[in-house]
Amino acid sequence: MTGLQEVSQRHEDELEAAVAKGKPILELRGLQKNYGAVQALKPATITFLSGEIHAIVGENGAGKSTLIKLLTGVIPRTAGEVFWQGEPVQLANPTEAITRGINAVHQEVVLCPHLSVAANMFLGDEMNGNGLMRKRAMTEAAQGVLDDLGFNLPADATLGSLTIGQQQLVATARAAMRGTRFLIFDEPTAYLTRQESAQLFRLIRRLQGDGVTIVYISHRLEEVFELADRVSVLRDGTHVGTRDISETNEAELIALMINRTIEQIYHKEQFALGETVIEARGLSGPGFSDISLSVRAGEIVGLYGLIGAGRSEFALGLYGRHPLSAGEVYWQGRKVAIDNERKAMELGIALAPESRRDQGLCLNLPIGLNINLPVFRRLTRGLTINRGEEAANADRQIRDLQIKTPSRRVLASAMSGGNQQKIVIGKWVSHGAKLFIFDEPTVGVDVGTKAEIYRLFARLLEKGAGIILISSYLPEVYELADRLHVFRQGRLVASHDYRAASHEDVLAQAINA
Amino acid sequence: MSVETVESGTGPTPKRGVSILFGLTLLGLLVVLWLLLGLATSAFWTPNNISNLLRQGAMTAILAVGQTFVIITAGIDLSVGAVVGFTSVIVAWLLAAGVPLWLALVATLLIGVLIGAFHAFGIVRMGLPPFIITLATLTSLRGIGLLITNGSTISITNEAFTNFSRADFLGVPSLFWMVIVVAVPAYVFLHLSRFGRYLFAVGSNSEAARLSGVNVNRTIYLAYILSSTCAAFVGLLLASRIGIGNATQAEGWELQAIASSVIGGTSLFGAVGSVHGPLLGAFILATINNGANLLNVNSFWQRIITGVLIIVIVYFDQLRRRGSR
Repeated sequence: MTGLQEVSQRHEDELEAAVAKGKPILELRGLQKNYGAVQALKPATITFLSGEIHAIVGENGAGKSTLIKLLTGVIPRTAGEVFWQGEPVQLANPTEAITRGINAVHQEVVLCPHLSVAANMFLGDEMNGNGLMRKRAMTEAAQGVLDDLGFNLPADATLGSLTIGQQQLVATARAAMRGTRFLIFDEPTAYLTRQESAQLFRLIRRLQGDGVTIVYISHRLEEVFELADRVSVLRDGTHVGTRDISETNEAELIALMINRTIEQIYHKEQFALGETVIEARGLSGPGFSDISLSVRAGEIVGLYGLIGAGRSEFALGLYGRHPLSAGEVYWQGRKVAIDNERKAMELGIALAPESRRDQGLCLNLPIGLNINLPVFRRLTRGLTINRGEEAANADRQIRDLQIKTPSRRVLASAMSGGNQQKIVIGKWVSHGAKLFIFDEPTVGVDVGTKAEIYRLFARLLEKGAGIILISSYLPEVYELADRLHVFRQGRLVASHDYRAASHEDVLAQAINA
Repeated sequence: MSVETVESGTGPTPKRGVSILFGLTLLGLLVVLWLLLGLATSAFWTPNNISNLLRQGAMTAILAVGQTFVIITAGIDLSVGAVVGFTSVIVAWLLAAGVPLWLALVATLLIGVLIGAFHAFGIVRMGLPPFIITLATLTSLRGIGLLITNGSTISITNEAFTNFSRADFLGVPSLFWMVIVVAVPAYVFLHLSRFGRYLFAVGSNSEAARLSGVNVNRTIYLAYILSSTCAAFVGLLLASRIGIGNATQAEGWELQAIASSVIGGTSLFGAVGSVHGPLLGAFILATINNGANLLNVNSFWQRIITGVLIIVIVYFDQLRRRGSR
């Protein structure tokens, strides 16, 4: 049985001698990046100590991505110096970063879905014998590493058959076995379930124990407090401070990040509940069965559960994307059959789906087109689209939702995660729906944007709409939902009124502990 | 996160401006080619040759416009050349059987509609890749056409029909007018109507389009029907021009159409394209062929030049796109 230690040993010799724990391993001195006239990262001086877990927090667009790209050699710096183990280094390209032992695990897995787990772990670094790949040896070695790390994953499975969370674990294991000295995690838990997050944290601590320096980027402050030794805060491209984790608290970090208090984030207003907008009775379909729930005007109904618990599937079923196998849907008291998405829209249902990239946006098309996509029918006069109204509608959403773009003609792919999410939401706000389904609306979104999205919820409720809020992030549904339903394995297993149950109880129901 | 943040000001230049610029570059290239050929040979700027050039380019241009609709949805239509040959047989056959001209024309166009609908059926209902289903009809249609004609050709005796392609209107060949007849509605459809937007959306992300209430299946039907109908229309024009119906005509025209479309800035990955681009692309290709003929360049060289041109133009287009990111 080969463990992580043995496999990563293959690379140990190539790397320079490690720096003693607690001494600077990587120092940024006045590191700076400009795009044209815009300063994406203003001169930053940050020291990373050998063997520490160093968290970096900041809103979208604060410069975190720029910093990672600089450190991994993806983009060249404009000015400043980087010292690696005391020596000035260029980090001119990704290869240089990797040979020095600097690696990154990205939020969205960049591996080959059609290859096996083992092949992915050894990709570009295959074990060879006599010019041929030693496939069996690699599979065994990969399995050894996975078992050693406590990941319950088969090394010979196709990567694409795993969940996104499991793929993330594979990507992490891959980085870990390359003799990494400095490992950057970019929002690694965005798509992970709790168990997967726990596994990942174990791995991170273990790597730290082996002397690896960890940079951990996350929007989730409780993770930062759980893991990190020190934390640096970025705001608008400026490094505004670094704190020892023991000497700071959530409130201070948020204040550094956005100048806003924590109470202002979960913005909740109570509205008088109106008529029942939609009612599902015994609804079954692919991935969910026998779901009964209803939403009233002015109400947020939260659906909590692990990823794969059937919440998104239920939402898609309700929206007519997948055929229902049993049950009835009542819309404002009237029985309806929602066979397709168009019908759902015409009734007044809007769906902001789970995955921005796969379901939400046409990334290589302009923002304006994305925003207007559901309403082109309404913008059409005779044969053609009214160009003035088209532009006005897009510009209004961009302004109302504060989407940070110079123009509606910019491609959606050029936007940061938070702004992309605003586009997905902006598509539906102008639609005038009576029921909004938001599926994981704040994944990969910074605190400031989150607060804006919650404020938007209140505006929609005020206008008499109902909201179904799906989230894997318990504080979010817990603080916002007037009624909270817990899903497990495709079934609705418990329901609670606003703040009626404890976090622990809800969690236990979701994971059947 | 894998995307650039725009707060950092790296926003690309607005898309429409770039697309106009690219169109102007192509137009510039076409004008430069014409000027150079005019200097190189006195035979170029003669009314006869210009008419000839416009006729040559017209049919590819119409095919390229139809093809562009399909490519924007991230599909491909390999059958258009075969459809041209097949429909030339159909119209000749109908006319030979004594069917009135108007009915023969309408029936032939309807055949085009049906072929396109069949393609979309294969893609939407049977789940076949566009490449496969249109490759299959490419070979089958040639076969059916050959069966109908018994491997030979059907001559067309209807003078009104055959005179059309030789006629001029306001001094411009009627075939070129047909380009305008196709291009103007195509422009309205693609750039001004919501269905055009839907084509782009489906080509960019069909699931996002579906969840936004776009009828994805209908959009795909629309794209393939338009492409095949354009091809059937070209089949009519070709039959009129050569006065026969022959199933082996228009061999390789699908590649000409795809090349024109791609030269005109259409992305084979979908969601990028226009109506004016493929038109310019088609006439650039026609000009190169025409010029090479006039200059007595070996026709083998024409093929090589066309290939090189495709690489150069598309490469620069890619550079521009990447640069604007």
